[in-house]
Amino acid sequence: MQIDWLTVAAQIVNFLILVWLLQKLLYGPIINAMKRREERIEERLSDARETREAAEEEAQNLKQKQADLDARKEEIREQARQEAEDLRRRREREIEQEADEQRAALRERIEAERDEALRDIRKRAAASTFTAIRDILRDFANADLTNEMATRFAEHLKTLPGDDKDRLSKAAQEADEPARVIGSTELPSAIRSKLTRAIHQTFAEDLEVEYETDPDMLLGLRLSISGQTAEWSASRHLDRLEEDIRETLTHAVPAQTQKDAA
Amino acid sequence: MQITPDEWIFLEWRGIVLNATVVFTWGVMAILSLGSWIITRRLSEGETVSRWQVALEVIVGTIRDQIDQVGAQRPERYLPFIGTLFLFIATANLLMIVPGYRPPTGSLSTTAALAICVLVAVPLFAILQRGLSGYLKSYVQPNIIMLPFNIISELSRTLALAVRLYGNVMSGTVIAGILVSVAPFFFPVLMQLLGLLTGMIQAYIFAVLAMVYIAAATRAEQKTADNDPQDQGA
Repeated sequence: MQIDWLTVAAQIVNFLILVWLLQKLLYGPIINAMKRREERIEERLSDARETREAAEEEAQNLKQKQADLDARKEEIREQARQEAEDLRRRREREIEQEADEQRAALRERIEAERDEALRDIRKRAAASTFTAIRDILRDFANADLTNEMATRFAEHLKTLPGDDKDRLSKAAQEADEPARVIGSTELPSAIRSKLTRAIHQTFAEDLEVEYETDPDMLLGLRLSISGQTAEWSASRHLDRLEEDIRETLTHAVPAQTQKDAA
Repeated sequence: MQITPDEWIFLEWRGIVLNATVVFTWGVMAILSLGSWIITRRLSEGETVSRWQVALEVIVGTIRDQIDQVGAQRPERYLPFIGTLFLFIATANLLMIVPGYRPPTGSLSTTAALAICVLVAVPLFAILQRGLSGYLKSYVQPNIIMLPFNIISELSRTLALAVRLYGNVMSGTVIAGILVSVAPFFFPVLMQLLGLLTGMIQAYIFAVLAMVYIAAATRAEQKTADNDPQDQGA
């Protein structure tokens, strides 16, 4: 058991040569091949990862786009709903307004017709009352309504309140036109004389008096001197009658209007 | 009986002796180099790989993993040296089953040569890794008193490497020789099988020990750096 140093040296050289040879022929190529394969696998994995990321990104974009579209759709739908709602409200308001206007027009027309009817009733009532009273007076009291009316008017003129009487007296004295007595019917000459006398006695002796007929005057007489007037008529009674009828109609008309509206 | 193949002289010319150790070493070198060349001539980098290439990749990959497990950084740096140690010793030992072959590792000259290579490689790698001063500093760690012991340790482990491998391989060969003369049937076969196992284990031990020494030398500074904060803290 001894060491041959020449052999040792030869073996060191041999070993170093073997290291070099194996580095060239074995480790280098094998390690490189493994490394390149790993790199290529890594590259492919990286490519796959990138592709997947791109796909995921694309999917995300599409999802986002879809969400945007959904939101836009919802927005448009909401807008349309809002517009429809606005339109409906506007139409309702318009219809309501139109209905109100029509109702108001109808009410006005009804009121106008009622007023017209009342005027007509008043006129007819006055004429009928006049005729009836005249006939009653003539038949039962042997009295003439026109005469009674003139008598009452003459008394009325005489018993006028101080202010009114002064106002008319002053007008009569300053008058440059005849005084006018307006009646609903033609007055007989006897009654005219009676009235003229009463006027002369009450206001002025030399006052000229004219007699006129006005169908609108209804039951009564009116004295007019230069714009100043004194009147006695059955208007008060007729007014009460008209008031009653109006009240009756006022109660009746709304019910009728509601029925029409229904 | 020739205990070592050094004594088996093939050729002698003007005082230069060509013994069996060198000749069989050349044979092992030729087998390794030619085998590698034939297989790596057509290396595939794709998915389909020849089974020989797979075998080589497994061997090289395993050696690299072993180096990595010992704890060395950048295993590719040590792969040629450690890998060649392992492959050379393993091949030289495995060829024991070829009749007429004498493993060159059974020669103290070969194991001494390999141990000297390790002895040189350890400081070489350490200096490459840490620089000359860094390496020399490790001899006076933890104290200047340790300098002679560190040097003795360095030399003794080299000697131990050489003698361990030589002793194992030589004894295997010698025991086989003795058994052949005593009981020529059956027993030598068992001993040859045992020799194959021992040869592989020795190759592994030699390579791993070499790597441990290199790793210890190259990592010393890192360890010191790790210990410093503790020292300061203490």
